[in-house]
Amino acid sequence: MPSLLKKDKPKQTGAEKATAGAKWLDDRLGLAKGGRVFFNKIFPDHWSFMLGEIALYSFVVLLVTGVFLTLYYVPSADMMTYHGSYAPLKGTQVSAAYNSTLAISFNVRFGLLVRQMHHWAADIFLGAIAVHMCRVFFTGAFRRPRELNWIVGVTLLILGISNGFLGYSLPDDLISGTGLRIMFSVVESIPVVGTHLAFWLFGGNYPGNGVIIPRMYMLHVLLVPAIMVALVGAHLALLVKQKHTQFSGPGKTEKNVVGTPMWPGFMFKTQGYFFLVVAVLAGLGGWAQINPIWQYGQYFPYKVSYAVQPDWYMGWLDGALRIMPSWEFQNFGYMIPNMFFPSVLLPGIAFNIFIVWPFIEAKVRKDYKEHHLLERPRDNPWRTSIGAGALAFFFMLFAASSTDVLANYFNISLNLVLWFFRFATYIIPFIVSAVTYKMCLELQALGQYGGRRKRFNVVLRTAEGEYLSVKTPARPGDLDILSGEEEEPLELTEQVSQKLRESAELIGVSGSESTKVQPPADEGVRTVERD
Amino acid sequence: MAFRRLHVDWLIFLSIPFKLKYLRKLLPFVVIATVIMIAMTTFRSGAQISKSGSSMENLASVSTSTSSPSGSTTTSATTTTEAKPKPPSVNTGPLLYESSGTPASKSQVEQGKIYFDQSCSSCHGMGAEGSSRAPNLVGLGPATIDFWLTTGRMPLSNTIVQPERKPPRYDPSQSLDIVAYVTSLGPGGPLIPNISGVPNASIAEGASLFALNCAGCHTITGAGDELASGAYAPSLHQATPTQVAEAIRTGPANMPRFSPGIMTNRQVNDIVKYVTQSIQHPNNAGGFGLGGVGPVAEGFVGLLIGVGILMLFALWIGDRS
Repeated sequence: MPSLLKKDKPKQTGAEKATAGAKWLDDRLGLAKGGRVFFNKIFPDHWSFMLGEIALYSFVVLLVTGVFLTLYYVPSADMMTYHGSYAPLKGTQVSAAYNSTLAISFNVRFGLLVRQMHHWAADIFLGAIAVHMCRVFFTGAFRRPRELNWIVGVTLLILGISNGFLGYSLPDDLISGTGLRIMFSVVESIPVVGTHLAFWLFGGNYPGNGVIIPRMYMLHVLLVPAIMVALVGAHLALLVKQKHTQFSGPGKTEKNVVGTPMWPGFMFKTQGYFFLVVAVLAGLGGWAQINPIWQYGQYFPYKVSYAVQPDWYMGWLDGALRIMPSWEFQNFGYMIPNMFFPSVLLPGIAFNIFIVWPFIEAKVRKDYKEHHLLERPRDNPWRTSIGAGALAFFFMLFAASSTDVLANYFNISLNLVLWFFRFATYIIPFIVSAVTYKMCLELQALGQYGGRRKRFNVVLRTAEGEYLSVKTPARPGDLDILSGEEEEPLELTEQVSQKLRESAELIGVSGSESTKVQPPADEGVRTVERD
Repeated sequence: MAFRRLHVDWLIFLSIPFKLKYLRKLLPFVVIATVIMIAMTTFRSGAQISKSGSSMENLASVSTSTSSPSGSTTTSATTTTEAKPKPPSVNTGPLLYESSGTPASKSQVEQGKIYFDQSCSSCHGMGAEGSSRAPNLVGLGPATIDFWLTTGRMPLSNTIVQPERKPPRYDPSQSLDIVAYVTSLGPGGPLIPNISGVPNASIAEGASLFALNCAGCHTITGAGDELASGAYAPSLHQATPTQVAEAIRTGPANMPRFSPGIMTNRQVNDIVKYVTQSIQHPNNAGGFGLGGVGPVAEGFVGLLIGVGILMLFALWIGDRS
């Protein structure tokens, strides 16, 4: 029977077959509806909206390179004799984890490239999150209705930092082992439960009974990434559901979104950007050495290297630890260890403020309305100066994590650098805040288009030797700086304008008529109403 | 006619730049392809590195026995002085070397006194007995004097907290004359260490000993770093084998002294071999070494170059108004 039916059917072309196949799938899965939402999603064209994509694509690279690395990495602290191809370590005792990381670096084809790409991608992933977060913060994109997405984003940041630290600790080299030693003490410093928690995590007093590496490995490759993938999905789903924010401008209102639709247009743009991110990561992975663990050697608790820093995203915590004075607090017969304040309390408070910030701001400003149009940072000097101060604070902490490097580089006493940071970390943010506040007000005073373009004067010398100073004709968009209104072309008496015309011809300046030329409408830009 | 057809063909060819609008969309792909290709071609794969790593032992053992990388100072000095037959004059001077039983010659001591009176006596005193400005040198031993002179730290140009390494004022044989003179003033102190065992020493053992005893101040990459109150552990990247051994045995400035009871000659040689080979010529597989200061430099590169370039790309792709 089927063969009979086939005969009756006219022969299908390839395209028709594909369409039929797609229709078959759609009848069963109903994908077309979702696809329409996806393809019609409008993306505003401003460059700063691409920053989150750096993070997204670095995350993709992290997943792909990470999968490659799991094929060769051995999560075990068992000691063995090194027989690999890195000569200076031959015959020494190394852990299986360190041994396999050396093997990835020296014996696996493309292993070192992939390992370095993975590490650079982690650094850039968190860097992009930071930059993206700044954009969202300073433009007020987190305001209602996007508070939830802000919280998802901050959670992703916290998970990213945690997973970065876990991954950094996996090779079991001298530097990462030192970091793990610090982390043990950090956990231990939590009042009441700290010791139990640390012993439970490490399977005993430091360095534990070797369970920490398999445990970190499980967290690093399974649990944390799984949560992160889910949260990235939620982040994007919310973005599609709520539609993008946009800067105010001609034709842009609270009720619509102006930009390029996913298809045709944005998809190519974003794919190109994906390749650019991969290219930069591959370039760094190939050219710039990162974490040369073979130079550091296997970690043993009794060996230590001076000048050990964590990766940059942990740097602010390390800096906070370094500049903490040696105070200890006794309460109710218990001592709160010194480490607790900079390494548990500080990040705890910081991340909690991040999370509740949208609600704090709504409450303080009594602004519970929905916002889809972004504010320019200058329009909200209060928020901008607080954000700039916070950035300065974290930057100072970050810089404090390299006190020794700074002291060595500039040839100053380490103690002096330390004491400088002990004060500057708290003073400089206030200065930065004040300056930022003032700058915002100054920029506001310039008017909406202030400083955009200056009308220049042309000084002409007539045939009689008379000098005339005349403003050049107004061009479209030229606005008066003080009044903010569009300037009228200068009115001239007939005599002067006659002279001007003659002289202008000589120097090639065209007549004083202002022609209103509208910029050509950008192709492919579409406006969509919000629901 | 043929000319005319050619003309038309050329016109078509010339019309391509006017379709730049479409070409622009291809640009990202071109950039990526180029970057990936260059990255692939310049990337030194691990396999190649490891090969050169294993052959490094032989290469480096040659280099230790011939001369130091700078070629300026002690290695050549010690090797030449060790190798060259002692002057025929009577060897009435003190013993300088662990490796050779021949003491310094009388003329060396005499010449050394001239140099010492010129450059050292103003602070250390005419008899090297020290003053309020500088310590007593009598009985310190040849290794100490040789280290401070050949690393250029002495004579001191200005009295700062910690003398810095600089090009030595005296060439190796002149330095040795001063060493001979100062040593002749009083017995004691370590002799210039015997590093003849370096070519047969174990780098792996040296690496382990280095991580245990040296990395705590000099850092594991040997880049050196700041210690408390203006003191610092210097970089090891210019030290010659003899200087490394001398520093271990004599403990200059803030450095602890490792006497033969703590560290055997064999262990010193292991460390010397590790420092002069692995530390001074690190295996920088995977691209530029970024100064060996670890994650600080990596963070700056990642943020400024990595995120920075990608933000520029975003500016290129996106709208700027």
